[in-house]
Amino acid sequence: MKGSGAKGGSATTTAAIETQGLTKRYSATLALDGLNLTVTPGEVYGYLGPNGAGKTTTIRLLLGLHRPTAGRAALFGVDAWGDAVAAHRRVAYVAGEPFLWPALTSAETFEYMARLHGSTDRAYRDLLVERFQLDTNKKVRALSKGNRQKVQLVAAFASRADLLILDEPTSGLDPLMEMAFRQTVEEARACGQTVFLSSHILSEVEALCDRVGILREGRLVDEGTLAELRHLSAQTIDVVFAGPAPTIGGLSGVAVERTGPNGLRFEVSGSPQRLLEQLVRYPIASLTSREPSLEEIFLHHYDARDGRGSG
Amino acid sequence: MAPARAIARRTLADARIRDGCFALFFVLFAFANPVGYRHTYPTLAERVAFAHSFGTNKAVELFYGAPRDLLSVGGFTAWRFGGFAAVITAIWGLLAAVRALRGEEDAGRQELVLAGAVSRRSAYLAVVAAISISGVLMWLAIALGLAAARLPVGGSAYLALVTVAPAFVFAGVGALASQLASSRRLALEIAVAVLAACFLLRVVADLGSGLGWLRWGTPLGWSEELRAFADPRPAVLVLPLLATALLFACAGLLAVRRDVGSGLFEARDTAAPDYRLLSSPTALAFRLSRGSLLTWLAGMGVFAGIIGTLSTSFTTANISANLRDQLHKLGGATITTPAGALGFYFLLFVLAISLYACSQVGSIRREEADQQLETLFAFPVGRRGWLLNRLALATAGAAALALTTALLAWAGAASQHAHVSLARLLEAGANCLPTALLFLGLATLAFSFLPRASSGIAYGLVTIAFVWELFGSLLGAPNWLLNATPFQHVGLVPGQPFRAAAAAAMLAIAGAAGLVGIYVFSRRDLAGA
Repeated sequence: MKGSGAKGGSATTTAAIETQGLTKRYSATLALDGLNLTVTPGEVYGYLGPNGAGKTTTIRLLLGLHRPTAGRAALFGVDAWGDAVAAHRRVAYVAGEPFLWPALTSAETFEYMARLHGSTDRAYRDLLVERFQLDTNKKVRALSKGNRQKVQLVAAFASRADLLILDEPTSGLDPLMEMAFRQTVEEARACGQTVFLSSHILSEVEALCDRVGILREGRLVDEGTLAELRHLSAQTIDVVFAGPAPTIGGLSGVAVERTGPNGLRFEVSGSPQRLLEQLVRYPIASLTSREPSLEEIFLHHYDARDGRGSG
Repeated sequence: MAPARAIARRTLADARIRDGCFALFFVLFAFANPVGYRHTYPTLAERVAFAHSFGTNKAVELFYGAPRDLLSVGGFTAWRFGGFAAVITAIWGLLAAVRALRGEEDAGRQELVLAGAVSRRSAYLAVVAAISISGVLMWLAIALGLAAARLPVGGSAYLALVTVAPAFVFAGVGALASQLASSRRLALEIAVAVLAACFLLRVVADLGSGLGWLRWGTPLGWSEELRAFADPRPAVLVLPLLATALLFACAGLLAVRRDVGSGLFEARDTAAPDYRLLSSPTALAFRLSRGSLLTWLAGMGVFAGIIGTLSTSFTTANISANLRDQLHKLGGATITTPAGALGFYFLLFVLAISLYACSQVGSIRREEADQQLETLFAFPVGRRGWLLNRLALATAGAAALALTTALLAWAGAASQHAHVSLARLLEAGANCLPTALLFLGLATLAFSFLPRASSGIAYGLVTIAFVWELFGSLLGAPNWLLNATPFQHVGLVPGQPFRAAAAAAMLAIAGAAGLVGIYVFSRRDLAGA
């Protein structure tokens, strides 16, 4: 029953994020088309899509910065547009492009943001400043993009907000800082915070997220846990025979590709049962099976335009 | 060569709206002066009377410089238009240079440009070429306006040259300031400070007895010494030419030698934390705008002090019947008393404080364009309360300006034993506010409905309203059209009584516009740059 929006339920079962038919049109462009999304409290939700798919538009609507053309969005049951201030009391946001106050130092920015939010965990903030290796006496205008991003991340996580909305938060970070980021998200998860992570860095989403939604041209084309998503996609089986590879074909849901004189690669959708029944007839030197990576699932949705395009 | 041409074209395209506005202003301003003079002083007798009264007045010279010949249309125009327009072209020049040089670098675009197949030298020269082309366009605009008002073409071209010469010199100042400062704002501040010093030097040279030689020390003085329509001395043009070449050459030498993105004056990038004025967005806005408010206060305060000390300089010498009629139309019959003179000059403070109001909405819009508002409104901060507080802050700033001008004008007048009471001057200060708030309200309306065009609309409205106030009646416009500008309804306190009904109407419109603006802003999408 995870993921079902409990409207009017008690506080514990109210969805952290719930959108119904959320639509945004900018003059000629339909940026978001009837998005239905539910993120439950305590969940780390990965929001995937290429540039221009509508990720940032979704976030602007969730934060009440832009007004929905149709549909509605609610954060913890509070309307995102109509009652934005109340909704934001439980939210912290990290923008994809860090737009801060250039004349303030990081320390001053933290203080200002803490006052705006109403509270902050100062001890945790100091720890995060250490972890992200920030020089807090530097003015924001003198910081690189990655460092400005770190300022936003530290302020957001230190707020201990119930819901963290992160828009491509690691786009300017180096691999070390990326690891620090992952650690911090894990800590937020351990505290029961909800994280909405918009990203196109698939390894990050794969490592962190409980559930994933894939957005394409303003519509959600796939959603589920990674296991669920994998189920629907092909898995890869590489076989090396003890001798020349035989000819195996005619199985529905199985694509075959020759990888060498003795090797074959099978892309299997659904159960591999029928393929395995065939394979046992031949001497096999090695067999490896691999689940599709998120990257392959992702590419599947964008390459196979003919396939299941509409969600 | 191709990349340089692309840079020059880009620079011209970026500046097209600002250049267009300035050119339009120059055409109209150049046209209105000769036409107005002919209309107001049709006979020689009246011109002689004018020359004896207004022409020798210190407070008038403050703005327009020392006159050479007030009996001919050309001579009058050279003084009345040339002296003032030279300051405006100087402002245009420094804006153009700072925007195209330090502005591009501040925005990080210069790195992109120089990563292309173009040397620093040709990138710099391309910008200088673009500014020069724009400068020539300004020259043509002025010459066109003057010639259209039936001044001789040759004289018009020469006066236009005299007027536009400071534009080139101060473009050079802006170019040099762009090399020294590491931010656009600092570069502008340096260039404006140089202009203010040059203006002050000209004022001292013109007003002080035996100090005329000081004119040679300021580009604005050179324009006076070029003596258009009176006794032209084209050889003096060597001075602005040399100065321009020297400034641009120095700036160019620095531009090709320093690191891109840095300036000779390194900005301080680290600071011990200062947690004051961080408690709310309004507090932060005040913290970040303190410097510019102080600059406004200092500039207007000094000016008000000078005006106050000069308020006794108007004598009851014969003012022509026609001029009296004109003054009456402008609403001030009693310019010959200190109170009357101050009433006239406070109209300029009404203008200045209105422009300040526009600048406040401009900075609100800049925060939206820079997307700081997206960061801000993700916090539990309501848009209506935020905008209301920002407008309150702007109002407080305007009130501080009004109070400062009133106090310093009073101090100046008191130093000359003029009979103007402090209470009346405080009233004159307060009288600036309804108009300024009206423009604040209208600017807010523009900000909420047309955010991307709001700054242009706000400054444009104030400029048009004021130019219309100056020249509408001279051009013989009908009354209802003249009454369209708010400046027409400002009582010239302390010379005239405060016009309570007009002030109340302006405040009512300001309040309504502000409230509608706040409501509409709270209902619209945030708009990026």
